[in-house]
Amino acid sequence: MDFTLSPSQQLLVATARDVLRRHCPPETAQRLALDAHGFDKTLWQRMAELGWPGLLVPGDLGGSDGTLLDVILLVEEMGRAALPGPFVTSAVVATTLLLDGGGERGRRLLPALASGERIATLALVDDGGSYDPRTVGLRCGPDGRVTGTKLFVKDAHVATDLIVVLAEGELLLLPADRAGIAQLPLDTLSGDKLFEVTFDGVATRAEDRLGSGGEALAAALTAGALARTAEMVGAAQRVFDLSVEHARTRVQGGRPIGGYQAIQHACADLVRDVDTSRGLLYTAAWKASEGRPADGDVATAKAYASEACLSVARRGHQIFGAMGYCEEHPLHLLHKRVQAASVDYGDAGAHLETVARAIGLR
Amino acid sequence: MEFAFTAEEEAFRDEVRRFVDAHPGEHFPLDGMDAGYGSGAHSRPFMAALGARGWIAMTWPRAFGGAERPMFFKLVLFEELARAGAPFGPLAGCWQTADAIIEYGSERLRREVLPAVARGEATFWQGYSEPGAGSDLLSLTTEAKRDGDTWIIRGHKIWSSHAGIATHGLVFTRTSREARRSRGFSMFVVPNGTPGMQIRPIRSLTGEVYHYEVFLDDVRVPADLMLGPEGEGFQALLNGLDSDRFWGRYYKAPALERVLRQLVQYANDTTVNGAPLARDPVVRRRLAGVATEIAALKTLFYRAACLLRDGAPVTYETAVAKVMADELGQKLARIGMDLLGPWGPLREGSRRAPLGGRISHDYLTSLGHTIAGGTAEVLRTTIAVRGLGLPADRRA
Repeated sequence: MDFTLSPSQQLLVATARDVLRRHCPPETAQRLALDAHGFDKTLWQRMAELGWPGLLVPGDLGGSDGTLLDVILLVEEMGRAALPGPFVTSAVVATTLLLDGGGERGRRLLPALASGERIATLALVDDGGSYDPRTVGLRCGPDGRVTGTKLFVKDAHVATDLIVVLAEGELLLLPADRAGIAQLPLDTLSGDKLFEVTFDGVATRAEDRLGSGGEALAAALTAGALARTAEMVGAAQRVFDLSVEHARTRVQGGRPIGGYQAIQHACADLVRDVDTSRGLLYTAAWKASEGRPADGDVATAKAYASEACLSVARRGHQIFGAMGYCEEHPLHLLHKRVQAASVDYGDAGAHLETVARAIGLR
Repeated sequence: MEFAFTAEEEAFRDEVRRFVDAHPGEHFPLDGMDAGYGSGAHSRPFMAALGARGWIAMTWPRAFGGAERPMFFKLVLFEELARAGAPFGPLAGCWQTADAIIEYGSERLRREVLPAVARGEATFWQGYSEPGAGSDLLSLTTEAKRDGDTWIIRGHKIWSSHAGIATHGLVFTRTSREARRSRGFSMFVVPNGTPGMQIRPIRSLTGEVYHYEVFLDDVRVPADLMLGPEGEGFQALLNGLDSDRFWGRYYKAPALERVLRQLVQYANDTTVNGAPLARDPVVRRRLAGVATEIAALKTLFYRAACLLRDGAPVTYETAVAKVMADELGQKLARIGMDLLGPWGPLREGSRRAPLGGRISHDYLTSLGHTIAGGTAEVLRTTIAVRGLGLPADRRA
């Protein structure tokens, strides 16, 4: 049993925290959130220069052979900074999928994803709103054309490539500018750039078809659930840090509000919620990284953190009082990030059903 | 990072599992009630069986009869005993007392008490609380006065678990008046039956006896039964608190997992209005939700265990784990009672009591857990002040 990060993981985390503090301060996160097309190309290139989008990619494809656990630690830092952008969808989910389920075609795309030149996103969710691929009904017609809709497609406005999940886990890899594909923005609380992507008789070719996603798709969704959990943990940690600092320094009634038991006990619950969420995240990410069975652990982590981190954000608002209600204060960005992450790649209810089966409920 | 036990630890786990399979808890006579913490009832014969395996002393230095096994073997032993529902009630207290004796006990305590602990014969009650000193321990009034080679103790202790069936009391007394309120306290290891000691049972809300009150009427104790440095007893107590909280609750998570397994089994086997209870979406949600919380609790204990093992600073970690363990135990018992419906309130031993009446018993005993060993309120303040650096209330 060991909770400590390896020296290279410590370096990765320290670098990420420093870079994001300098290049993604709350004002930047705020500006990108408010702008409907907010995407910071310079920041994305900087991240690419640091090798972040290639962390999961093998060295011979231009990446740096990192583990899923490494990337989870990095995404936790991104959550702390409320960093917007397509990192999770492209560098974690699409990359994981293409590594094992993309065939030759997918592997050819990986070097460009690793270098940040191209950005891929996953079009999974049908009208029903479920992240379970078994619920997908969209199909290629007999003429090879696709007509239909995908919801909650992240960063489709900057994606160069779309991985479309069809019925029975069949996958398509399409250039995002293929004729007949349209991206219709969904206006979100968090400023996450989500789209309804419509396919209007989109022609597909043999080389677009990656075949059945199978285990690679499952691995990608696991990576997505873990990455979104990591964002929640990072954001909750930041809310906790800000809240405790505020409790120490905000004076009312002649003393810091952190001297009052009502605030002290709220802070004690925050540290519990953050530590437990992180403990479950690391346990699940370690098991998945080691190739151990981790479905129950991932579902546990995502379901638990969704509740606990949201609770941290909400308690944070109470501790900050009126100040936290302002747009210029970063609290709401972190809160909205947690909220958005909690429903992505399976909400708490969906993951609790996995847990229910894992504990043996018939 | 690594979130697994080592091969040696897993081999020991197998050994303990074989032991509990061969020695089911129900084969051992019980001497004292199960207070629901997860360590089962008080059974001296079971403690003797653990002693015979060498497991009570397994982490002690060889010079004291131990085997110098790493601390994590104790985690494995606790997990497997709790998983099996074995009656090892006094074990955590024995370990804590033995560690204190090894660290700063007199020759006499090391010679006379330690081997009895290793054999599973000596068990301890804590004489800390008094009628006027609960959360505010420093307001205690029990005094010990020196008289040559002995100390004479006079006072009244209360809420001492198993005092009537243990062999020794750990009696916390004031031995001098000092300018600093927290100085001048000393701890004594007092054998039960010492003249002047009167032990009276207190019946608890379950109808059983767990706590006792102890009247100390000029109890004479040899000076070498003082445990730790004279006058610095409170500091020693504080230093041991993290470890006490940790070892006093470590078995709670595996014990809650055991209860959860029983509730899952019950939900699978029970039909309500023609449908299995397990298919009720609310039941599924609540049981799965509490399962995630138990998993979360385990990560707190594992992390605290690593800090204690590595000698890293511990400020809030064990307090957070204790509060969560106790509140989660209450929650699970509550869910259990809801699941059982009208059968829930049936007592242990009653006709038709489901799951042996275990849930109704847990429901009651869990009420005491957020009070014993530091109330949830006191601990949240500790977490905030000692752990997070928030300002202490100067009136305290």
